[in-house]
Amino acid sequence: MSDAFVVFVSYAVVYGSTLGYAAYLHFRRKRAQ
Amino acid sequence: MRRVQIMLLIAALALAFGAYLAFTAPHDALQGEFTAMLYIHVPTLWLAFLAFGITALGSIMYLIGKKARWDRAAEASAEIGVLFAVVGVFTGMVWGQAVWGQAWDWGDARLATTAVMIFVYIGYLALRKAIPDPEVRARRSAILGTIAVIQVPLVYFSVNLFRTLHQTQSIRPDGSTMDSEMLVALLVNVVAFTILYAALFMGRTYVARLEAAGVTQRAPAADSVSSPRLKEIEDV
Repeated sequence: MSDAFVVFVSYAVVYGSTLGYAAYLHFRRKRAQ
Repeated sequence: MRRVQIMLLIAALALAFGAYLAFTAPHDALQGEFTAMLYIHVPTLWLAFLAFGITALGSIMYLIGKKARWDRAAEASAEIGVLFAVVGVFTGMVWGQAVWGQAWDWGDARLATTAVMIFVYIGYLALRKAIPDPEVRARRSAILGTIAVIQVPLVYFSVNLFRTLHQTQSIRPDGSTMDSEMLVALLVNVVAFTILYAALFMGRTYVARLEAAGVTQRAPAADSVSSPRLKEIEDV
């Protein structure tokens, strides 16, 4: 694996986990309404 | 809810600009491509510190005023703080494996204190799940949220108190040891992640408010108590 690919995957994990949390909040909001 | 969506949009734009600066900033001579880890590792852990600080503030305000909104703020911030702390540790492990040759070292003061901090805040969230009564839950978790924040300065200053593997701070009161272009990229990312924190915090407290209102509406006494089955008693 190239260094750039590892860095890219790390960025994807950070942004992806945030996006995942935002989606989780969205579904919790839909359920609560 | 519209405010949350606008904040999320602003955060996404700021993060995109931050990522652009991160990948165009000059590389460190020794770390090469892995220099870019700086721009996600530092902001995510900065956010964890900020989030746990807000949890402590919400906890103290709850203990003073007994207002439910402070309890909701403390809970929301702890949840986001744990998310960013875990993500920040992950980025640190990737960076450590590349630069130090090892992802983790329990002998390192910064790594060990950070791990303990995450465990305590996971414990804080578990405590909240374990207590059904809202007032008891709010009071007990506020006490823990107030005490647990002591770990934030402990983690931050661990690199100064114990000289182990992790480097000391690059940005100090007397100036920075970083290249100015790298410093700008780092600060832009710190601001972008802080906006993201604000958006998630607003979204999380909004959901907590809706859920609290839903619990109050769904649990009237008439629904939770069944009528006595007198016919069955008469038959016996």
